[in-house]
Amino acid sequence: MMNDRHAVIAANRFGLGAKPGDLNIARGNPEQWLLNQLTLPDLSSGHPDSGEVLDAFYVYRRKVNRFRQQKMMEKPDNIAGQLFVRMAADTVYGAVKDEHSLNWRLLDFFSNHFSVSGQGGMMKPLAPTLEREAIAPNLLGSFEQMLVAVEQHPAMLVYLDNAKSVGPSTRAAGNKRGLNENLAREILELHTLGVHGGYNLEDIQELAKAISGWSVSRPKESQHGFVFRQATHEPGTRVVLGKVYRDTGIDQGEAILKDLAIHPATAKFVSFKLARHFISDSPSEDLVKAMTETWRQTKGNIKSVVTTMIEHPDAWHPTPAKLKTPREFYISTLRLTGLPLPNARLLVNTLVNLGHAPFGAGSPAGFSDKSSAWDGADALLKRVDWVNMISRQVRMNQPPLELAQAHSGSLLSDHTAKMVSRAESRQQGLALYLMSPEFLRR
Amino acid sequence: MKRRELIKMLGMGLSVAPVSLNAPFAFGDDKQASSSRKVVWVMLRGGMDSLQTVVPAFDKDLMKHRRALAEPVIDDLNSLGQGFGLHPALNHLYDWYQNKEMAPVVAVASPYRSRSHFEGQDFLESGLTTINHDSGWLGRALKATSKQGLAVAHSLPVSMRGQANASTWFPSRFRVAEDDLYSQLFKLYQSDDLLRERLEQGLQTRAMAEGAVSGNKKAHFEALAKAAGLLLKDDNSPNALMLEMGGWDTHDNEVFRLNRQLQQLDEGMGSLKKELGSVWKETLVIIATEFGRTVKVNGTMGTDHGTASALLLAGGAVKGGQVLGEWPGLKSSQLYEGRDLMPTSDIRHWIGTAMQQHWKMSDQHIANVFPDLPTGKTTLIV
Repeated sequence: MMNDRHAVIAANRFGLGAKPGDLNIARGNPEQWLLNQLTLPDLSSGHPDSGEVLDAFYVYRRKVNRFRQQKMMEKPDNIAGQLFVRMAADTVYGAVKDEHSLNWRLLDFFSNHFSVSGQGGMMKPLAPTLEREAIAPNLLGSFEQMLVAVEQHPAMLVYLDNAKSVGPSTRAAGNKRGLNENLAREILELHTLGVHGGYNLEDIQELAKAISGWSVSRPKESQHGFVFRQATHEPGTRVVLGKVYRDTGIDQGEAILKDLAIHPATAKFVSFKLARHFISDSPSEDLVKAMTETWRQTKGNIKSVVTTMIEHPDAWHPTPAKLKTPREFYISTLRLTGLPLPNARLLVNTLVNLGHAPFGAGSPAGFSDKSSAWDGADALLKRVDWVNMISRQVRMNQPPLELAQAHSGSLLSDHTAKMVSRAESRQQGLALYLMSPEFLRR
Repeated sequence: MKRRELIKMLGMGLSVAPVSLNAPFAFGDDKQASSSRKVVWVMLRGGMDSLQTVVPAFDKDLMKHRRALAEPVIDDLNSLGQGFGLHPALNHLYDWYQNKEMAPVVAVASPYRSRSHFEGQDFLESGLTTINHDSGWLGRALKATSKQGLAVAHSLPVSMRGQANASTWFPSRFRVAEDDLYSQLFKLYQSDDLLRERLEQGLQTRAMAEGAVSGNKKAHFEALAKAAGLLLKDDNSPNALMLEMGGWDTHDNEVFRLNRQLQQLDEGMGSLKKELGSVWKETLVIIATEFGRTVKVNGTMGTDHGTASALLLAGGAVKGGQVLGEWPGLKSSQLYEGRDLMPTSDIRHWIGTAMQQHWKMSDQHIANVFPDLPTGKTTLIV
């Protein structure tokens, strides 16, 4: 009985819902079943990488300029929107198809932790490449590797203006070009130590100087994507959080990031965010402490920290404390119903309508991880509308109650079971289950 | 086809994707002589209470079992003769009856006896003695006669499945769910305060923003039926069209709810006829439900799942103005399992007979549609 309950919790609180038959496997050992899902998410190839996206954008920009000057040739196609929806949808397709889903939830978490916005000509196609290139491959290793990969990724460098940051004492500096602290500030405030992590304005400026020169390729340059430019890198020794870093070029910024990744404040801040995302808006001190300790012992090994979270009794508290985000709701619905996967544009539009646009948080802080951010009246009605529509599209050859039982197991309340089984049609029964507290909460 | 008209008509907060609009008109030329003879199949999901719709006012046991339901309507019934009366909300249908264009068939059921909505609907739609999700009676009829079908639905209902030339059409972004789904959700959230509060707030806001929500909903079936009429009028239109209407599961507050349901059904049928224009006289409308309801009123002023119900045959092609079927009586000893109206004939027999005459199908063709029972000799089609 307890294993049955834990299997359901595992599938919904930590995953994106069990696939048919999965709960039976999970019942054997729910914890182990979950830990086995700590595998790298498999994103499809066949999409351009960030360097290619940059090149394509430069070509487009050049054509547009020529078009404006000459007014003769055809207006060039802007493929940014298409690239954006294809890549944004690809992650959702992967999460729907994969039998594992904890790994996709983690990808979603870190993609939001390192939030970039797909807005503007250049950022639109660039934003979705960040999770594909910097986060997914480093999802289960050390946080340090992920951190360095993210901060050196073109999407982040462009989004937070570091690509054009210039060391103030370099020859490149002038009245139009100088130091940009934007990325350095967000690294400390949002990506590592947290706002109360004990850094000051000087630390921000020192970090900004250390990573000046971290930039992206220009049109017709032989390199593509991330470029370290010695010429715009501020020379000299830096002091961050009281520690001295000699100038070794690109290594200087990397050395600081590595120390930040294993800093106790970072361990606590990211552990807290993970616990808040998965378990409860106000996770217990004991849980966060355990995760922080694992972070310290393993030097920020993400897989180990997540394992500690899953092995903690708090992870299995019986009452769901969180509502699914619209994205989780959407993916878990597709996994459960086996609806044909919508095309990329429709998929992205649906997520926009449900209030969870991919790369649409609009701020480097990302979407809120608090349940209360997702429980608005309109958000609920938007789900009703969508469920009302798609429940009619599902070819239901089994009673909806069976579906509900297979998905919620012993956590399905008698009341919901009754409502679902007494619905006037299979479609309505399915709609009621998808809108039930059991399916909406996790 | 007046595609513009259709788009305009559905402009009441609905938009029609041009792509989906093209689907129904992509039919080839139908060389059938009877190609203008249309069938409209209306599936009432949830179990329509026939005793409150085609009311056996003559039956002395009616008041004994369900006074609370019958009393509010008994004096306003429209007489069908033979002691039966039609619910007062069915104005258009009563006009049709008087024009000999509507015939109710009482005490009918499919072979299904277990009172589950889902299985009951699958049974009726399959039209077989066992459920086959891949083959429906209308699908087989279309296949046998090489005709075209169209379901006003998001996905093809069981009725039209089975290699038939059938497609679906539904106004896109039909945003508003039926009242029934909201009221079910309120019940579902009885012990989840947050979700219940949010649902209430959301609906209030929406009502303020869009005018009365119920006004919006009322248009729901009516709009679809109107669209159906337009779709059937076109030169290359389908031969058969299916409409669905939910909300018939009246476990409580039946007098009010059924009145509202019947009103919406009637308005929809009125709009269908109006849009069909001259095609009406070639049209057979079949209105059916998966099962009837208990004869006795229950503790919440409603009725529970039953067995026999009524079938309504209508349209300009129908030989109407008569109540068909055999009345089983409402004495407790005459009820099915002591609780439901006893079925006296198989609903498929009537549908099959009407279809065979309407589409002039050979015995072999109709045997493909309903393999388990012979059709009858009653003249149902003019």
